[in-house]
Amino acid sequence: MPDIPTIVRERLAEVLDDVPADDVDLDRDMADDYGLTSLNKVLFLTAVCDETGVGLSHFTERDLDVMRTGNDVVDALGRVAAA
Amino acid sequence: MDSIVNHLVSTAPEPGHRITFARLDGDRSMDLTELYARSADVARHLRRQGIRPGDRVGILSPNRLEWVLLDLAALRLKAVTCGFESGKFDASAALLAKYDLAVLYTDRIAPTGAGAGADPLIRDIAELADVPATDDALGPVKYETDDHTTIKFTSGSTGEPKGLAASVGSIDSSITAVQGLFHHTDGDDLFVFLPLSLLQQRYWIYSALVYGHDVTVSTYEAAFSALKRVRPTVVMGVPGFFETAKKQIEGQVRRSGAEVPSAARLLFGDRIRYLWTGSAPASAAVLTFFNDTAGLPLFEGFGLNETCIVSKNHPGAHRQGSVGQVLPGKEILLDEDGVVSVRMDYPVNTRYEYATPEAQRIFQPGGIVRTGDLGYVDEDGFLYIRGRADDVIVLDNGKKVIVRPIEERMRTSPAIEECVLFCPTQTYLVAVVSPARQPADTDVIAAHLAAANAALAKDERIRKVIVAEPGFTIDNGLLTSQYKPRRQQIFERFRSAILDNQEGIHA
Repeated sequence: MPDIPTIVRERLAEVLDDVPADDVDLDRDMADDYGLTSLNKVLFLTAVCDETGVGLSHFTERDLDVMRTGNDVVDALGRVAAA
Repeated sequence: MDSIVNHLVSTAPEPGHRITFARLDGDRSMDLTELYARSADVARHLRRQGIRPGDRVGILSPNRLEWVLLDLAALRLKAVTCGFESGKFDASAALLAKYDLAVLYTDRIAPTGAGAGADPLIRDIAELADVPATDDALGPVKYETDDHTTIKFTSGSTGEPKGLAASVGSIDSSITAVQGLFHHTDGDDLFVFLPLSLLQQRYWIYSALVYGHDVTVSTYEAAFSALKRVRPTVVMGVPGFFETAKKQIEGQVRRSGAEVPSAARLLFGDRIRYLWTGSAPASAAVLTFFNDTAGLPLFEGFGLNETCIVSKNHPGAHRQGSVGQVLPGKEILLDEDGVVSVRMDYPVNTRYEYATPEAQRIFQPGGIVRTGDLGYVDEDGFLYIRGRADDVIVLDNGKKVIVRPIEERMRTSPAIEECVLFCPTQTYLVAVVSPARQPADTDVIAAHLAAANAALAKDERIRKVIVAEPGFTIDNGLLTSQYKPRRQQIFERFRSAILDNQEGIHA
Protein backbone atom coordinates (compact mmCIF):
# COMPACT_ATOMS: atom_id res chain seq x y z
CA MET A 1 0.00 0.00 0.00
CA PRO A 2 1.39 3.46 -0.83
CA ASP A 3 2.49 5.73 1.99
CA ILE A 4 -0.56 7.96 1.76
CA PRO A 5 0.37 10.47 4.51
CA THR A 6 3.75 11.13 2.89
CA ILE A 7 2.22 11.55 -0.54
CA VAL A 8 -0.44 13.91 0.84
CA ARG A 9 2.21 15.95 2.62
CA GLU A 10 4.43 16.16 -0.48
CA ARG A 11 1.66 17.05 -2.90
CA LEU A 12 0.23 19.61 -0.49
CA ALA A 13 3.67 21.16 -0.07
CA GLU A 14 3.94 21.33 -3.84
CA VAL A 15 0.70 23.19 -4.31
CA LEU A 16 1.54 25.52 -1.42
CA ASP A 17 4.82 26.34 -3.18
CA ASP A 18 7.06 27.34 -0.32
CA VAL A 19 6.02 25.15 2.62
CA PRO A 20 8.50 22.26 2.99
CA ALA A 21 6.82 18.87 3.03
CA ASP A 22 8.18 18.14 6.51
CA ASP A 23 6.54 21.32 7.82
CA VAL A 24 3.07 20.50 6.49
CA ASP A 25 0.74 19.88 9.41
CA LEU A 26 -1.92 17.43 8.31
CA ASP A 27 -4.25 18.55 11.09
CA ARG A 28 -4.47 22.12 9.86
CA ASP A 29 -7.34 23.36 7.73
CA MET A 30 -6.12 23.44 4.15
CA ALA A 31 -8.22 26.46 3.18
CA ASP A 32 -8.27 28.56 6.34
CA ASP A 33 -4.75 27.84 7.56
CA TYR A 34 -2.84 27.28 4.33
CA GLY A 35 -4.91 29.46 1.99
CA LEU A 36 -5.61 26.60 -0.41
CA THR A 37 -8.16 27.75 -2.98
CA SER A 38 -10.94 25.40 -3.97
CA LEU A 39 -9.50 24.95 -7.43
CA ASN A 40 -6.06 24.19 -6.01
CA LYS A 41 -7.68 21.72 -3.65
CA VAL A 42 -9.10 19.88 -6.64
CA LEU A 43 -5.72 19.89 -8.36
CA PHE A 44 -4.01 18.68 -5.19
CA LEU A 45 -6.48 15.82 -4.76
CA THR A 46 -6.12 14.87 -8.41
CA ALA A 47 -2.35 14.63 -7.98
CA VAL A 48 -2.67 12.58 -4.77
CA CYS A 49 -5.14 10.20 -6.41
CA ASP A 50 -2.86 9.79 -9.44
CA GLU A 51 0.11 8.93 -7.26
CA THR A 52 -1.67 6.63 -4.81
CA GLY A 53 -3.57 4.82 -7.53
CA VAL A 54 -6.86 5.64 -5.82
CA GLY A 55 -9.24 6.83 -8.51
CA LEU A 56 -10.72 10.26 -7.99
CA SER A 57 -13.93 8.68 -9.26
CA HIS A 58 -14.38 6.98 -5.88
CA PHE A 59 -15.35 10.35 -4.46
CA THR A 60 -18.27 12.66 -4.96
CA GLU A 61 -18.31 16.43 -4.97
CA ARG A 62 -19.68 16.36 -1.43
CA ASP A 63 -16.88 14.05 -0.26
CA LEU A 64 -14.42 16.70 -1.43
CA ASP A 65 -16.34 19.40 0.35
CA VAL A 66 -15.89 17.75 3.75
CA MET A 67 -12.16 17.10 3.30
CA ARG A 68 -10.93 20.08 5.31
CA THR A 69 -7.52 18.87 6.55
CA GLY A 70 -4.72 16.79 5.14
CA ASN A 71 -5.69 14.01 7.52
CA ASP A 72 -9.25 14.07 6.15
CA VAL A 73 -7.70 13.31 2.77
CA VAL A 74 -5.46 10.60 4.22
CA ASP A 75 -8.44 8.95 5.93
CA ALA A 76 -10.66 9.12 2.86
CA LEU A 77 -8.02 7.65 0.55
CA GLY A 78 -7.07 5.06 3.15
CA ARG A 79 -10.64 3.81 3.34
CA VAL A 80 -10.81 3.35 -0.41
CA ALA A 81 -7.36 1.78 -0.65
CA ALA A 82 -8.22 -0.71 2.09
CA ALA A 83 -11.57 -1.69 0.56
CA MET B 1 -33.36 31.91 -38.03
CA ASP B 2 -34.84 34.99 -36.39
CA SER B 3 -34.98 33.89 -32.76
CA ILE B 4 -32.75 31.41 -30.97
CA VAL B 5 -35.26 30.97 -28.14
CA ASN B 6 -38.19 30.39 -30.49
CA HIS B 7 -36.09 27.93 -32.46
CA LEU B 8 -35.23 26.10 -29.23
CA VAL B 9 -38.85 25.66 -28.20
CA SER B 10 -40.14 24.70 -31.61
CA THR B 11 -37.48 22.60 -33.29
CA ALA B 12 -35.81 19.37 -32.22
CA PRO B 13 -32.03 19.31 -32.71
CA GLU B 14 -30.50 17.30 -35.51
CA PRO B 15 -29.10 13.96 -34.28
CA GLY B 16 -25.38 13.36 -34.04
CA HIS B 17 -24.29 15.77 -31.32
CA ARG B 18 -23.98 15.02 -27.66
CA ILE B 19 -24.20 16.55 -24.24
CA THR B 20 -21.93 15.08 -21.56
CA PHE B 21 -22.32 15.58 -17.84
CA ALA B 22 -18.99 15.22 -16.07
CA ARG B 23 -18.80 14.51 -12.37
CA LEU B 24 -16.02 13.23 -10.18
CA ASP B 25 -17.54 9.77 -10.20
CA GLY B 26 -17.82 9.58 -13.98
CA ASP B 27 -19.37 10.94 -17.13
CA ARG B 28 -22.81 10.51 -18.58
CA SER B 29 -23.51 11.32 -22.19
CA MET B 30 -26.54 11.41 -24.46
CA ASP B 31 -27.47 12.60 -27.90
CA LEU B 32 -29.00 16.07 -27.93
CA THR B 33 -32.14 14.57 -29.46
CA GLU B 34 -32.57 12.49 -26.30
CA LEU B 35 -32.00 15.55 -24.12
CA TYR B 36 -34.62 17.43 -26.06
CA ALA B 37 -37.15 14.60 -25.85
CA ARG B 38 -36.57 14.22 -22.12
CA SER B 39 -37.01 17.94 -21.59
CA ALA B 40 -40.46 17.58 -23.16
CA ASP B 41 -41.26 14.82 -20.66
CA VAL B 42 -40.18 17.09 -17.81
CA ALA B 43 -42.28 19.92 -19.27
CA ARG B 44 -45.34 17.65 -19.25
CA HIS B 45 -44.48 16.62 -15.70
CA LEU B 46 -44.31 20.26 -14.63
CA ARG B 47 -47.59 20.98 -16.33
CA ARG B 48 -49.20 18.08 -14.45
CA GLN B 49 -47.83 19.70 -11.28
CA GLY B 50 -49.77 22.81 -12.20
CA ILE B 51 -46.96 24.94 -13.65
CA ARG B 52 -48.31 27.44 -16.15
CA PRO B 53 -46.78 30.12 -18.41
CA GLY B 54 -45.27 32.90 -16.31
CA ASP B 55 -44.89 30.74 -13.20
CA ARG B 56 -41.50 30.87 -11.57
CA VAL B 57 -39.56 27.63 -11.24
CA GLY B 58 -36.68 27.81 -8.77
CA ILE B 59 -33.55 25.70 -9.25
CA LEU B 60 -31.05 25.37 -6.42
CA SER B 61 -28.49 22.76 -7.33
CA PRO B 62 -24.99 22.28 -8.67
CA ASN B 63 -24.65 21.51 -12.37
CA ARG B 64 -26.34 18.26 -13.39
CA LEU B 65 -28.55 16.74 -16.07
CA GLU B 66 -31.76 17.58 -14.25
CA TRP B 67 -30.78 21.28 -14.14
CA VAL B 68 -30.61 21.36 -17.93
CA LEU B 69 -33.82 19.34 -18.34
CA LEU B 70 -35.66 21.70 -16.03
CA ASP B 71 -34.37 24.80 -17.80
CA LEU B 72 -35.37 23.52 -21.22
CA ALA B 73 -38.71 22.27 -19.90
CA ALA B 74 -39.49 25.67 -18.42
CA LEU B 75 -38.63 27.31 -21.74
CA ARG B 76 -41.00 24.96 -23.50
CA LEU B 77 -43.81 25.88 -21.08
CA LYS B 78 -43.01 29.58 -21.05
CA ALA B 79 -42.38 29.31 -17.35
CA VAL B 80 -39.63 31.48 -15.85
CA THR B 81 -36.58 29.86 -14.27
CA CYS B 82 -34.90 31.31 -11.21
CA GLY B 83 -31.43 29.79 -10.92
CA PHE B 84 -29.96 30.09 -7.45
CA GLU B 85 -26.29 29.49 -6.94
CA SER B 86 -25.73 26.38 -4.91
CA GLY B 87 -24.38 27.07 -1.45
CA LYS B 88 -25.57 30.67 -1.44
CA PHE B 89 -29.23 30.08 -0.69
CA ASP B 90 -31.22 27.76 1.56
CA ALA B 91 -34.04 25.62 0.22
CA SER B 92 -36.76 27.04 2.39
CA ALA B 93 -40.29 28.33 2.44
CA ALA B 94 -38.77 31.78 2.86
CA LEU B 95 -36.99 31.45 -0.48
CA LEU B 96 -40.25 30.38 -2.14
CA ALA B 97 -42.06 33.35 -0.68
CA LYS B 98 -39.36 35.94 -1.31
CA TYR B 99 -39.02 35.14 -5.00
CA ASP B 100 -42.64 34.16 -5.70
CA LEU B 101 -41.69 30.63 -6.73
CA ALA B 102 -44.38 28.19 -7.81
CA VAL B 103 -41.98 25.35 -7.06
CA LEU B 104 -38.34 24.90 -6.09
CA TYR B 105 -36.25 21.97 -7.28
CA THR B 106 -33.14 21.33 -5.23
CA ASP B 107 -30.59 18.75 -4.22
CA ARG B 108 -30.55 20.25 -0.71
CA ILE B 109 -32.68 17.64 0.98
CA ALA B 110 -33.00 18.01 4.70
CA PRO B 111 -33.45 14.67 6.49
CA THR B 112 -36.28 16.08 8.55
CA GLY B 113 -37.96 19.40 8.97
CA ALA B 114 -37.27 22.05 6.37
CA GLY B 115 -36.24 21.32 2.82
CA ALA B 116 -37.52 18.85 0.26
CA GLY B 117 -40.13 16.52 1.70
CA ALA B 118 -41.32 18.99 4.30
CA ASP B 119 -42.87 21.51 1.91
CA PRO B 120 -44.66 20.08 -1.13
CA LEU B 121 -43.39 22.99 -3.20
CA ILE B 122 -39.76 22.12 -2.43
CA ARG B 123 -38.96 19.09 -4.50
CA ASP B 124 -36.00 16.81 -5.01
CA ILE B 125 -34.41 17.68 -8.34
CA ALA B 126 -33.36 14.04 -8.74
CA GLU B 127 -36.98 13.05 -9.34
CA LEU B 128 -36.75 14.70 -12.77
CA ALA B 129 -34.31 12.04 -13.95
CA ASP B 130 -37.05 9.43 -13.90
CA VAL B 131 -40.02 11.27 -15.30
CA PRO B 132 -42.00 8.79 -17.42
CA ALA B 133 -42.20 9.47 -21.14
CA THR B 134 -45.64 10.44 -22.37
CA ASP B 135 -46.76 11.72 -25.74
CA ASP B 136 -49.47 14.23 -24.91
CA ALA B 137 -48.91 17.39 -26.92
CA LEU B 138 -47.10 20.30 -25.34
CA GLY B 139 -48.60 22.86 -27.65
CA PRO B 140 -46.86 25.66 -29.47
CA VAL B 141 -45.00 28.36 -27.57
CA LYS B 142 -44.06 31.70 -29.04
CA TYR B 143 -41.84 34.31 -27.39
CA GLU B 144 -41.72 38.01 -28.10
CA THR B 145 -38.40 39.83 -27.80
CA ASP B 146 -39.41 41.56 -24.57
CA ASP B 147 -40.65 38.38 -22.89
CA HIS B 148 -38.46 37.07 -20.09
CA THR B 149 -37.33 33.47 -19.76
CA THR B 150 -35.33 33.59 -16.58
CA ILE B 151 -34.32 35.71 -13.62
CA LYS B 152 -30.62 36.17 -13.02
CA PHE B 153 -29.41 36.97 -9.56
CA THR B 154 -26.46 39.31 -9.55
CA SER B 155 -23.80 38.35 -7.08
CA GLY B 156 -22.84 42.02 -6.92
CA SER B 157 -20.08 43.47 -4.84
CA THR B 158 -22.35 44.59 -2.02
CA GLY B 159 -25.54 43.62 -0.29
CA GLU B 160 -28.34 41.25 -1.18
CA PRO B 161 -28.50 39.71 -4.64
CA LYS B 162 -30.61 41.70 -7.05
CA GLY B 163 -32.96 39.98 -9.49
CA LEU B 164 -32.73 40.69 -13.19
CA ALA B 165 -35.24 39.16 -15.59
CA ALA B 166 -33.51 38.50 -18.92
CA SER B 167 -35.30 39.32 -22.14
CA VAL B 168 -35.58 36.97 -25.06
CA GLY B 169 -34.21 39.66 -27.35
CA SER B 170 -31.02 39.95 -25.29
CA ILE B 171 -30.52 36.19 -25.31
CA ASP B 172 -31.15 35.92 -29.04
CA SER B 173 -28.87 38.80 -29.96
CA SER B 174 -26.02 37.66 -27.71
CA ILE B 175 -25.97 34.05 -28.89
CA THR B 176 -26.31 35.09 -32.52
CA ALA B 177 -23.50 37.62 -32.23
CA VAL B 178 -21.14 35.18 -30.51
CA GLN B 179 -21.86 32.54 -33.14
CA GLY B 180 -20.91 35.07 -35.79
CA LEU B 181 -17.49 35.44 -34.16
CA PHE B 182 -16.63 31.87 -33.22
CA HIS B 183 -18.63 29.70 -35.64
CA HIS B 184 -19.19 26.84 -33.19
CA THR B 185 -20.00 23.83 -35.29
CA ASP B 186 -19.78 20.08 -35.79
CA GLY B 187 -16.57 18.87 -34.13
CA ASP B 188 -16.67 21.46 -31.37
CA ASP B 189 -17.23 20.50 -27.75
CA LEU B 190 -17.79 23.49 -25.44
CA PHE B 191 -16.79 22.84 -21.83
CA VAL B 192 -18.90 24.49 -19.14
CA PHE B 193 -18.17 24.17 -15.44
CA LEU B 194 -19.29 27.50 -13.98
CA PRO B 195 -22.73 27.33 -12.35
CA LEU B 196 -25.69 26.98 -14.68
CA SER B 197 -27.41 29.53 -12.47
CA LEU B 198 -25.33 32.00 -14.50
CA LEU B 199 -27.45 32.40 -17.63
CA GLN B 200 -24.48 32.76 -19.94
CA GLN B 201 -23.35 29.24 -19.13
CA ARG B 202 -26.67 27.95 -20.44
CA TYR B 203 -26.08 29.80 -23.71
CA TRP B 204 -23.62 27.12 -24.71
CA ILE B 205 -26.27 24.43 -24.29
CA TYR B 206 -28.72 26.48 -26.34
CA SER B 207 -25.96 26.97 -28.92
CA ALA B 208 -25.35 23.21 -29.12
CA LEU B 209 -29.04 22.53 -29.69
CA VAL B 210 -29.42 25.21 -32.34
CA TYR B 211 -26.11 25.16 -34.20
CA GLY B 212 -25.20 21.48 -33.82
CA HIS B 213 -22.11 20.83 -31.72
CA ASP B 214 -21.24 18.94 -28.56
CA VAL B 215 -21.28 20.47 -25.11
CA THR B 216 -19.97 19.21 -21.77
CA VAL B 217 -21.38 20.33 -18.45
CA SER B 218 -19.08 19.63 -15.52
CA THR B 219 -19.25 20.27 -11.85
CA TYR B 220 -16.76 22.80 -10.59
CA GLU B 221 -14.93 20.09 -8.64
CA ALA B 222 -14.61 17.74 -11.59
CA ALA B 223 -13.48 20.34 -14.11
CA PHE B 224 -9.74 19.69 -14.13
CA SER B 225 -10.02 15.91 -14.08
CA ALA B 226 -12.74 15.96 -16.75
CA LEU B 227 -10.82 18.12 -19.22
CA LYS B 228 -8.38 15.32 -19.99
CA ARG B 229 -11.15 12.81 -20.57
CA VAL B 230 -13.50 15.05 -22.51
CA ARG B 231 -10.89 16.77 -24.71
CA PRO B 232 -13.06 19.84 -25.38
CA THR B 233 -12.34 22.36 -28.11
CA VAL B 234 -13.46 25.38 -26.06
CA VAL B 235 -13.28 26.01 -22.31
CA MET B 236 -15.45 28.68 -20.71
CA GLY B 237 -13.73 30.02 -17.60
CA VAL B 238 -13.04 33.02 -15.44
CA PRO B 239 -9.59 34.58 -14.92
CA GLY B 240 -9.16 32.82 -11.56
CA PHE B 241 -9.53 29.45 -13.26
CA PHE B 242 -6.93 30.26 -15.89
CA GLU B 243 -4.62 31.68 -13.22
CA THR B 244 -4.78 28.36 -11.37
CA ALA B 245 -4.31 26.43 -14.60
CA LYS B 246 -1.23 28.52 -15.39
CA LYS B 247 0.34 27.65 -12.05
CA GLN B 248 -0.47 23.99 -12.56
CA ILE B 249 1.11 23.99 -16.02
CA GLU B 250 4.20 25.79 -14.73
CA GLY B 251 4.48 23.23 -11.92
CA GLN B 252 4.26 20.40 -14.44
CA VAL B 253 7.01 22.02 -16.51
CA ARG B 254 9.25 22.30 -13.42
CA ARG B 255 8.65 18.69 -12.40
CA SER B 256 8.89 17.00 -15.77
CA GLY B 257 10.96 19.34 -17.89
CA ALA B 258 8.20 19.30 -20.49
CA GLU B 259 7.69 22.23 -22.83
CA VAL B 260 4.88 24.59 -21.82
CA PRO B 261 2.63 23.79 -24.83
CA SER B 262 2.75 20.06 -24.15
CA ALA B 263 2.12 20.57 -20.42
CA ALA B 264 -0.83 22.79 -21.34
CA ARG B 265 -2.23 20.09 -23.59
CA LEU B 266 -1.81 17.60 -20.77
CA LEU B 267 -4.15 19.72 -18.64
CA PHE B 268 -6.66 20.94 -21.22
CA GLY B 269 -6.57 18.07 -23.69
CA ASP B 270 -5.21 18.13 -27.21
CA ARG B 271 -8.14 19.61 -29.11
CA ILE B 272 -8.39 23.15 -27.73
CA ARG B 273 -9.41 25.68 -30.37
CA TYR B 274 -9.64 28.56 -27.92
CA LEU B 275 -10.25 29.49 -24.27
CA TRP B 276 -12.94 31.99 -23.23
CA THR B 277 -12.63 34.33 -20.28
CA GLY B 278 -14.65 37.23 -18.95
CA SER B 279 -16.53 38.40 -15.83
CA ALA B 280 -13.40 39.95 -14.37
CA PRO B 281 -10.16 41.34 -15.79
CA ALA B 282 -7.54 38.77 -16.71
CA SER B 283 -4.01 39.73 -15.75
CA ALA B 284 -1.49 40.53 -18.46
CA ALA B 285 0.62 37.61 -17.20
CA VAL B 286 -2.19 35.11 -17.73
CA LEU B 287 -3.06 36.46 -21.17
CA THR B 288 0.56 36.41 -22.29
CA PHE B 289 1.13 32.93 -20.88
CA PHE B 290 -1.75 31.30 -22.73
CA ASN B 291 -1.61 33.30 -25.95
CA ASP B 292 2.14 33.52 -26.44
CA THR B 293 3.72 30.69 -24.47
CA ALA B 294 1.20 27.86 -24.18
CA GLY B 295 -0.18 28.25 -27.66
CA LEU B 296 -3.79 28.25 -26.45
CA PRO B 297 -5.64 31.39 -27.55
CA LEU B 298 -7.32 33.01 -24.55
CA PHE B 299 -9.96 35.53 -25.59
CA GLU B 300 -11.02 38.16 -23.12
CA GLY B 301 -14.35 39.94 -23.34
CA PHE B 302 -16.52 42.40 -21.49
CA GLY B 303 -20.06 42.36 -20.24
CA LEU B 304 -22.25 42.70 -17.20
CA ASN B 305 -25.32 40.84 -16.10
CA GLU B 306 -27.20 43.98 -17.05
CA THR B 307 -25.80 44.12 -20.58
CA CYS B 308 -24.95 40.53 -21.41
CA ILE B 309 -21.88 40.19 -23.69
CA VAL B 310 -20.79 43.58 -24.98
CA SER B 311 -17.43 42.97 -26.61
CA LYS B 312 -15.19 40.00 -27.27
CA ASN B 313 -11.81 39.24 -28.72
CA HIS B 314 -12.00 36.39 -31.21
CA PRO B 315 -9.88 34.69 -33.85
CA GLY B 316 -10.78 37.30 -36.47
CA ALA B 317 -10.05 40.35 -34.30
CA HIS B 318 -7.83 39.96 -31.28
CA ARG B 319 -5.88 42.70 -29.55
CA GLN B 320 -4.39 41.52 -26.28
CA GLY B 321 -5.08 43.84 -23.36
CA SER B 322 -8.34 44.96 -24.91
CA VAL B 323 -11.69 43.29 -24.30
CA GLY B 324 -12.35 43.10 -28.01
CA GLN B 325 -14.52 44.90 -30.50
CA VAL B 326 -18.13 45.65 -29.71
CA LEU B 327 -20.70 43.08 -30.77
CA PRO B 328 -23.49 43.84 -33.24
CA GLY B 329 -26.51 45.25 -31.45
CA LYS B 330 -24.39 46.97 -28.80
CA GLU B 331 -22.89 50.43 -28.74
CA ILE B 332 -20.34 51.99 -26.39
CA LEU B 333 -21.03 55.48 -25.09
CA LEU B 334 -18.31 57.32 -23.17
CA ASP B 335 -18.99 60.30 -20.98
CA GLU B 336 -16.51 63.11 -20.38
CA ASP B 337 -14.85 61.17 -17.57
CA GLY B 338 -14.47 58.06 -19.73
CA VAL B 339 -17.19 56.10 -17.95
CA VAL B 340 -18.53 53.38 -20.21
CA SER B 341 -22.25 53.09 -20.89
CA VAL B 342 -23.69 50.46 -23.18
CA ARG B 343 -26.65 50.96 -25.47
CA MET B 344 -28.41 47.79 -26.51
CA ASP B 345 -30.81 47.14 -29.38
CA TYR B 346 -32.37 44.52 -27.11
CA PRO B 347 -31.86 45.47 -23.46
CA VAL B 348 -31.62 42.69 -20.91
CA ASN B 349 -34.09 44.70 -18.84
CA THR B 350 -34.79 48.21 -17.70
CA ARG B 351 -34.99 47.54 -13.97
CA TYR B 352 -33.99 45.16 -11.21
CA GLU B 353 -36.27 43.22 -8.98
CA TYR B 354 -35.60 43.02 -5.24
CA ALA B 355 -33.39 46.10 -5.34
CA THR B 356 -33.26 49.56 -3.84
CA PRO B 357 -34.24 52.62 -5.89
CA GLU B 358 -30.60 53.71 -5.81
CA ALA B 359 -29.56 50.49 -7.52
CA GLN B 360 -31.97 51.17 -10.40
CA ARG B 361 -29.91 54.18 -11.46
CA ILE B 362 -27.71 51.92 -13.54
CA PHE B 363 -30.57 51.73 -16.06
CA GLN B 364 -31.05 54.80 -18.22
CA PRO B 365 -33.63 55.61 -20.88
CA GLY B 366 -33.11 54.29 -24.39
CA GLY B 367 -31.80 50.84 -23.48
CA ILE B 368 -28.65 52.26 -21.90
CA VAL B 369 -26.79 50.80 -18.93
CA ARG B 370 -24.12 52.81 -17.14
CA THR B 371 -21.48 50.21 -16.36
CA GLY B 372 -19.38 52.25 -13.95
CA ASP B 373 -16.24 51.05 -15.73
CA LEU B 374 -13.68 53.45 -17.12
CA GLY B 375 -12.58 52.76 -20.65
CA TYR B 376 -11.74 53.92 -24.10
CA VAL B 377 -12.07 52.64 -27.64
CA ASP B 378 -9.03 52.64 -29.91
CA GLU B 379 -8.96 53.64 -33.55
CA ASP B 380 -9.82 50.10 -34.64
CA GLY B 381 -12.81 49.77 -32.36
CA PHE B 382 -11.20 47.70 -29.60
CA LEU B 383 -12.54 48.49 -26.15
CA TYR B 384 -10.13 48.84 -23.23
CA ILE B 385 -11.27 48.83 -19.61
CA ARG B 386 -9.02 50.76 -17.22
CA GLY B 387 -10.88 50.19 -13.97
CA ARG B 388 -14.03 51.11 -12.14
CA ALA B 389 -15.18 54.69 -12.01
CA ASP B 390 -15.83 54.20 -8.33
CA ASP B 391 -12.26 52.93 -8.06
CA VAL B 392 -11.00 56.37 -8.94
CA ILE B 393 -9.72 57.97 -5.80
CA VAL B 394 -9.65 61.74 -5.68
CA LEU B 395 -6.98 62.88 -3.29
CA ASP B 396 -7.31 66.05 -1.26
CA ASN B 397 -4.81 67.68 -3.63
CA GLY B 398 -7.25 67.10 -6.49
CA LYS B 399 -5.16 64.39 -8.10
CA LYS B 400 -7.16 61.44 -9.44
CA VAL B 401 -5.70 57.98 -8.96
CA ILE B 402 -7.04 54.98 -10.89
CA VAL B 403 -6.46 52.09 -8.54
CA ARG B 404 -6.69 49.09 -10.84
CA PRO B 405 -3.27 49.41 -12.54
CA ILE B 406 -1.70 49.82 -9.09
CA GLU B 407 -3.54 46.77 -7.77
CA GLU B 408 -2.46 44.80 -10.82
CA ARG B 409 1.12 45.81 -10.21
CA MET B 410 0.89 44.52 -6.64
CA ARG B 411 -0.63 41.26 -7.84
CA THR B 412 2.38 40.49 -9.99
CA SER B 413 4.16 39.38 -6.79
CA PRO B 414 4.08 35.60 -6.35
CA ALA B 415 3.32 36.26 -2.68
CA ILE B 416 0.13 38.22 -3.44
CA GLU B 417 -3.04 36.62 -4.70
CA GLU B 418 -5.27 39.69 -4.65
CA CYS B 419 -4.93 43.37 -3.79
CA VAL B 420 -7.48 46.08 -3.06
CA LEU B 421 -6.58 49.72 -2.47
CA PHE B 422 -8.28 52.17 -0.12
CA CYS B 423 -7.74 55.80 0.61
CA PRO B 424 -9.11 56.28 4.11
CA THR B 425 -8.30 59.95 4.56
CA GLN B 426 -8.02 61.16 0.95
CA THR B 427 -4.32 61.65 1.43
CA TYR B 428 -2.58 58.29 0.98
CA LEU B 429 -3.23 54.77 -0.28
CA VAL B 430 -3.51 51.64 1.84
CA ALA B 431 -3.45 48.20 0.24
CA VAL B 432 -5.16 45.16 1.68
CA VAL B 433 -3.63 42.08 0.13
CA SER B 434 -4.77 38.49 0.18
CA PRO B 435 -1.55 36.47 0.37
CA ALA B 436 -0.89 33.68 -2.10
CA ARG B 437 -0.36 31.32 0.81
CA GLN B 438 -0.53 31.16 4.57
CA PRO B 439 1.45 32.18 6.45
CA ALA B 440 2.06 35.19 4.27
CA ASP B 441 5.59 35.88 3.11
CA THR B 442 5.80 39.39 4.52
CA ASP B 443 9.41 39.91 3.46
CA VAL B 444 8.55 39.27 -0.17
CA ILE B 445 5.47 41.48 0.09
CA ALA B 446 7.51 44.29 1.66
CA ALA B 447 10.14 44.05 -1.08
CA HIS B 448 7.45 44.11 -3.72
CA LEU B 449 5.82 47.12 -2.11
CA ALA B 450 9.11 48.98 -2.25
CA ALA B 451 9.67 48.02 -5.89
CA ALA B 452 6.11 49.00 -6.85
CA ASN B 453 6.37 52.36 -5.14
CA ALA B 454 9.66 53.05 -6.89
CA ALA B 455 7.91 52.68 -10.23
CA LEU B 456 4.78 54.65 -9.34
CA ALA B 457 4.08 58.37 -9.43
CA LYS B 458 4.19 60.14 -6.09
CA ASP B 459 0.40 60.22 -5.56
CA GLU B 460 0.06 56.59 -6.59
CA ARG B 461 2.43 55.23 -3.98
CA ILE B 462 1.13 52.90 -1.30
CA ARG B 463 1.90 53.94 2.23
CA LYS B 464 1.26 50.59 3.87
CA VAL B 465 0.01 47.06 3.20
CA ILE B 466 -2.41 45.14 5.40
CA VAL B 467 -2.07 41.40 4.94
CA ALA B 468 -5.45 39.67 5.17
CA GLU B 469 -5.28 36.55 7.28
CA PRO B 470 -7.16 34.49 6.35
CA GLY B 471 -7.14 35.69 2.77
CA PHE B 472 -10.10 36.60 0.58
CA THR B 473 -12.33 33.66 -0.24
CA ILE B 474 -15.85 33.17 -1.48
CA ASP B 475 -16.67 31.36 1.76
CA ASN B 476 -15.61 34.23 4.00
CA GLY B 477 -17.57 36.70 1.92
CA LEU B 478 -14.60 38.71 0.65
CA LEU B 479 -14.84 37.44 -2.95
CA THR B 480 -17.90 37.27 -5.16
CA SER B 481 -18.78 33.93 -6.75
CA GLN B 482 -16.86 35.14 -9.78
CA TYR B 483 -13.74 35.81 -7.69
CA LYS B 484 -14.02 39.56 -7.65
CA PRO B 485 -12.96 41.21 -4.38
CA ARG B 486 -15.88 42.68 -2.44
CA ARG B 487 -14.39 46.05 -1.62
CA GLN B 488 -16.91 47.24 0.89
CA GLN B 489 -16.79 43.99 2.87
CA ILE B 490 -13.00 44.00 2.77
CA PHE B 491 -12.93 47.55 4.07
CA GLU B 492 -15.35 46.70 6.87
CA ARG B 493 -13.41 43.56 7.82
CA PHE B 494 -10.05 45.37 7.99
CA ARG B 495 -11.28 48.84 8.91
CA SER B 496 -9.34 49.13 12.15
CA ALA B 497 -6.09 47.93 10.59
CA ILE B 498 -6.55 50.25 7.61
CA LEU B 499 -7.07 53.23 9.89
CA ASP B 500 -4.47 52.31 12.51
CA ASN B 501 -1.12 53.86 11.59
CA GLN B 502 0.77 51.24 13.56
CA GLU B 503 -0.63 48.26 11.66
CA GLY B 504 0.66 46.70 8.47
CA ILE B 505 3.80 46.64 6.38
CA HIS B 506 4.95 50.20 5.89
CA ALA B 507 6.67 51.51 2.82
